[in-house]
Amino acid sequence: MGKIKKKFSEGSSRTYTTRNRALRKLQVSLADFRRLCILKGIYPVEPRSQKKANRGSSKPTTFYYAKDIQLLLSEPLIAKFREHKIFLRKLQRALGKDDLTRAKGLETRRPEYTLDHLVIERYPAFVDALRDLDDALCMVFLFATMPTVSKVTNEIVEDCKRLSTEFMHYVIHSHCLRKVFLSIKGIYYQAEIQGQSITWIVPYQFSQNVPLDVDFKVMGTFLQFYRTLLGFVNYRLYTTSNLSYPPKVDQSMDDSAAGLGSLRIEAKRVEDLIKATQPTETTVPEVAMTKEMKQRMETLGSKIKKIVAADTTAPAYESVGDADGDQDDESQQSDNQLFAKQVFYLSREVPRYSLEFVIRAFGGRLGWDQTSGGGSPYAENDRTITVQISDRPVQGHQFLDRIYVQPQWVYDSINARRLLDVDDYLIGQTLPAHLSPFVEYEEGDYVPEAASKLAAAAGFEGEVTNLKPEDRDQSEDSEEEDVADIDGASADEDAPDSDDDEEDEDAIAEKQHQKQLLAERAGVSFSEYQQKQTAKPKPTAAGKKRSKAEIEEEERQKIAISMLSKKKRKVVNRTQADAYKKAKDVNTLKTRKAQAAKSAKGKKN
Amino acid sequence: MVGQNKGKKRGASSHEAPAEKAPLFPKSKGIDVPSDPEYSSDDDEEVEEGDFDEMLKEMANDQGIDSDDANDYIAGDSLDEEEEEEGDDESDIHSSDIEGASSEDGDDESEDGEDPEESDNEEDSSLERVASRSTDGQHTAVDSQNEAEGSGEEELDEVNMDKLTIRDFVGDIQGWKEYRKTLPQIDAGYASDSSTEDPANTIGNVPIEWYEDYPHIGYDIDGKRILKPATADELDKFLANMDDPDVFRTARDEVNQQDVKLSEEEIDIIRRIQGGNIPDADYNPYEETVEWFTSKTMQMPLSGAPLAKRGFIPSKWEHKRVMKIVRAIRQGRITRSGAPSQDTKPRFYDVWEKAEENDDDNTHQKRMARRARMPAPRLALPSHDESYHPPAEYLPSEAERQSWLDEDPDHRKKNYLPQDFGSLRSVPGYERFVQERFQRCLDLYLAPRMLKRTTQLNAEELMPKLPDPRDLRPFPSVESLVYLGHTGRVRSISVDPTGLWLLSGSDDGTVRLWEIVSGRCAKIWDLKETVHMVAWCPSADVCVFAAAAGSRTVIVIPSELCDEHKRLLSEELVRAGFNSAAQAEEGEEEDDSLPVSWDMPTSAEQATGIHVSVTMHKTVKSVMWHRRGDYLATLTAEEGGSSVLIHQVSKHKSQRPFRKLKGAVQSIMFHPTKPWFLVATQRYVRIYNLMQQALIKTLQPGVKWISSIDVHPQGDNVIVGSYDKKLSWFDLDLSVKPYRSIRYHRQAIRQVQYSRKFPLFATTSDDGTIQVYHGMVYQDLNQNPLIVPLKILRGHEIRNSLGVLDCVFHPIQPWLISSGADGTIRLWT
Repeated sequence: MGKIKKKFSEGSSRTYTTRNRALRKLQVSLADFRRLCILKGIYPVEPRSQKKANRGSSKPTTFYYAKDIQLLLSEPLIAKFREHKIFLRKLQRALGKDDLTRAKGLETRRPEYTLDHLVIERYPAFVDALRDLDDALCMVFLFATMPTVSKVTNEIVEDCKRLSTEFMHYVIHSHCLRKVFLSIKGIYYQAEIQGQSITWIVPYQFSQNVPLDVDFKVMGTFLQFYRTLLGFVNYRLYTTSNLSYPPKVDQSMDDSAAGLGSLRIEAKRVEDLIKATQPTETTVPEVAMTKEMKQRMETLGSKIKKIVAADTTAPAYESVGDADGDQDDESQQSDNQLFAKQVFYLSREVPRYSLEFVIRAFGGRLGWDQTSGGGSPYAENDRTITVQISDRPVQGHQFLDRIYVQPQWVYDSINARRLLDVDDYLIGQTLPAHLSPFVEYEEGDYVPEAASKLAAAAGFEGEVTNLKPEDRDQSEDSEEEDVADIDGASADEDAPDSDDDEEDEDAIAEKQHQKQLLAERAGVSFSEYQQKQTAKPKPTAAGKKRSKAEIEEEERQKIAISMLSKKKRKVVNRTQADAYKKAKDVNTLKTRKAQAAKSAKGKKN
Repeated sequence: MVGQNKGKKRGASSHEAPAEKAPLFPKSKGIDVPSDPEYSSDDDEEVEEGDFDEMLKEMANDQGIDSDDANDYIAGDSLDEEEEEEGDDESDIHSSDIEGASSEDGDDESEDGEDPEESDNEEDSSLERVASRSTDGQHTAVDSQNEAEGSGEEELDEVNMDKLTIRDFVGDIQGWKEYRKTLPQIDAGYASDSSTEDPANTIGNVPIEWYEDYPHIGYDIDGKRILKPATADELDKFLANMDDPDVFRTARDEVNQQDVKLSEEEIDIIRRIQGGNIPDADYNPYEETVEWFTSKTMQMPLSGAPLAKRGFIPSKWEHKRVMKIVRAIRQGRITRSGAPSQDTKPRFYDVWEKAEENDDDNTHQKRMARRARMPAPRLALPSHDESYHPPAEYLPSEAERQSWLDEDPDHRKKNYLPQDFGSLRSVPGYERFVQERFQRCLDLYLAPRMLKRTTQLNAEELMPKLPDPRDLRPFPSVESLVYLGHTGRVRSISVDPTGLWLLSGSDDGTVRLWEIVSGRCAKIWDLKETVHMVAWCPSADVCVFAAAAGSRTVIVIPSELCDEHKRLLSEELVRAGFNSAAQAEEGEEEDDSLPVSWDMPTSAEQATGIHVSVTMHKTVKSVMWHRRGDYLATLTAEEGGSSVLIHQVSKHKSQRPFRKLKGAVQSIMFHPTKPWFLVATQRYVRIYNLMQQALIKTLQPGVKWISSIDVHPQGDNVIVGSYDKKLSWFDLDLSVKPYRSIRYHRQAIRQVQYSRKFPLFATTSDDGTIQVYHGMVYQDLNQNPLIVPLKILRGHEIRNSLGVLDCVFHPIQPWLISSGADGTIRLWT
């Protein structure tokens, strides 16, 4: 007889551990554990069988991977947390005894810790970090606009501002911004860095209200890690694109609320040169000097001159862009430098914080009103300005040599990847709908009119083949299709699984509703529509035949479904229900569109 | 004498000084002045004294004392003053006894009760009280003695006073008591507490208002009424007030019913109290402190003890502590505060540099990376309706908007409401931005993650690979004929073995014979009762059918349909039993327990072809022929064993195969090839071997209520239909569990039927449909039966939620005949 195996010595109960067990093992408080989890990126998991994982108990519990907890055991942060706890105790004692000198001395020796090792641990490769940058960016951009609250001090906010500005500068410099979307929540940006799509949202710059039901301690912990992460990412991004990091702060510009302009982005080479002149800090050995580098060194002098010259006239980024520009691919450049030939001027009412970033990211130059910050390279009466972005119902004085557009034009142009016709976007015009660039259309999806128009205008036949303008006056044929579609959809309701009478009634009601909708689409009252239908029951023989074949096919389908196993039948029914729901949603949108168009027409008349 | 004592006392206790200085006590003050260093000039003092004398005079006037007396009194005072200047240090003996005596003595003296004397004494006693309070009883005694002497003869000899020592005094207590009696009453005056002051009016704590209506205002100490002084009328009072310059300082003493004029000092006190100041004008709250010990440097130490060693030897422990710090400094553990930290490492550097250089697989990071990590799902990207200016069709209607608002925020599908702001300038800040980020944070570290492997299932891929029904023809697919005529539900139909005739039994009490191909009704038998079942005898030799109407089963020979030979054979089969039954009756006792009687029908019935009538106690639900055509099984609507009976037609004999049966029997059937009998109870189908009289197996279809069963013509497969919409196919060789369960019908299945010739079977249901299946059973035992749904036949109407009640396949053609609750019979070809 073999040795009796101990219970719970292997399997699920070994793979997982509960939170309480983890706490006992790590000997930390719950708050510390949570902090650790946030910083280390450890998350609870859901075992397949809770009962097995929890040693036979089915009590609701939080589970973690036992391996994760094991790894936490050797985490240096735990020791740091303990140190901090001891420090606090000492400090409190000193303060309690009114021993201020001691307290001061302690304060100077406040234990501090960095999260550098966590960055490399969580993201072993730089690409991993980029992939997970969305949340970090959202948080940092949010806190850059936050008022200081407890747990989020002024330094943190300043740091967030700085980090976010640095990142924006990189995006501007590398022209990697792809999509922008003005949502009701904020402005979404999507950039593509090293093949990774990074999306983040920036709130509209109003004073953020600080809600009471939010635990800023938790958010602060997240932010602590995200700041570290973003700092390292920024460093890497800057250094790999030959920029010096950290960028220098132009104090005078910063004081005049220049926003993006307060940081001076400089090419790394200049810094290297300075470093090279200092004998102690020579990092590049002589042997490593490649031919290319030598060449660069030779041209360095002239370039520095150029940069210095440019610095005096225009912001630094342009010169850097110029310096790097010659390496870029021509076509890529044209795509990413949409506004290269434009000079913008922002009126004071438009959001400069977004437009400056966006326009510069697409190669445009711009000036702005003095009231929205200092450091504008162009005055309003500059003759080189080609586009003035203005968001007011009426523009008083207008320069004749420029066009006045509403800000949406910039965003829509970016999403369309070409300069759109300005006619729809002129001052006082009712703007065309602003669509999300993130939506990808699949077969059967509803395509808004604006999107199809855009696609048609752009002539992207290959890319969006299924984009067909949803026009009301289409041929009878398409109408037919719709009818068939609807029938198909409603027939799903008659599927064998749905055996309740209620459901049937629903289906009937739905059918009726669809018919009504059709009637509406045809632009007649429902009763009229019905009369028509009954009067001429679909004359064309071909249509009838097809519908009969379809009905047969459909019946066959239904019969076939009855032969499926329960599991598969559920899946099929679900997919069919999904398809039906989708069709229903599309239909609702279509009818709403029709209604809106109708009411708009009525207004015009 | 008094003054002497006082002066002495002042020296002893400093706290009394203010009291003595107070202007409240003008006499004592006057006396005090010389000894008080603060009062430097005698002139000042005398002025004050003069003022006071005047006041006294006035008071005396008021009380009816003549000014002489008052003057005397003053003279006495001044005498005191002189005495005081003597500055004698007399003995200080404390005796509470004496003190008590003195107060008593005061009471006694009041008996004398002479008004002028009294007022005089009042002044005196007030003076005296000060002394008694400040010092002790002895002085009082001395004073009182003094006064006793002084009251009669003003010129008191100083020498005598000196000689009057306390010892003398104490020595003769008896003398003292007598002496006391003679003494005049001492009035404490101003300096006394009001509690010890004796008012003239001794009414006690009685409100003075009670005396308003009386002529007196109270009682004196002897209990005599004190009459109210005559009061002037209001006009006089007014005039008096007008004349009186002191009216503003006059207060009314209600108890004694007299006006009291307040002195300047008193008014001053009142003013001070009103102003929130200390009443005593002379009190200096900021007096210089007297530093008794600290200000003086002592020349000699207080103690002669030698200095402790620790006072001059450096502490060991301090040394240790210092050394500890020194060591810490040497080792660099303690640095100067505020000094820049040694660590000048930049905050950010290239963390990934090393990692990417290092291709070693065993690094910690790589190990971490190798672990299966579940990255948090990214947030969904915004769709069109999140736009600040979405297309009009994405905006919610008012109803949707309201329903969104009413919904619980946690259950909303979208956490925002699409809105159209028209232009960018009118877009406000999003209120819930922070909350949404916070929610995301919570999700990231609190939400359990689980890898869900979802394969993109295509519905078409899941569909079973079934042969095309078109390849499985022939099967009934089109309705060809409707047999009309029945007025009630057609519960049962049966096709004769030749395939020419159709029988139908209905709720209207008739059995009808139809010609299948033409739909003509050839004959009608009216059985008066609901016909539950009609069944042709399967034997090809005879032309007989059985019909169950009510509790009766009739066996009929439709003579029109058959030739002579067949008719004779049929009649022989049916009627032979009458003889054998008679013989049996004679021979052996019939089993009386059987609830069956074989009867000869009436002649009228016989004329229509009904030859035998078998009557049972209960309604006959089902009649089933054995394949040979001699045996007939009936099922009656009752519980227990006698519900199923098997009848031998040729012998008119009935027998009960089961003594008892569990459950309500739903359906019965003879096996087509074996001597087996199938009994379907509510849940199970039991198969019995009639020869061995044993249960072979129990089929468990797993349904709640079986409605019908049928056995495949080859005998190895059984289909079971149930009221819970399920059809189960059993392979008897395989298992007692269904090989296949199919649920298509939306209402209860009423009938299941195999085709005898084609690989078809059909189910009818209350939903008004008939489902035709292809059910191929292969000879190869390894191959499972193939079941393919072929066709749904619709045509029957639903009446009272009953649809198609019965169906039967044509024995030769691939036709299906069905009957429904709508009274029609339909032929499907």
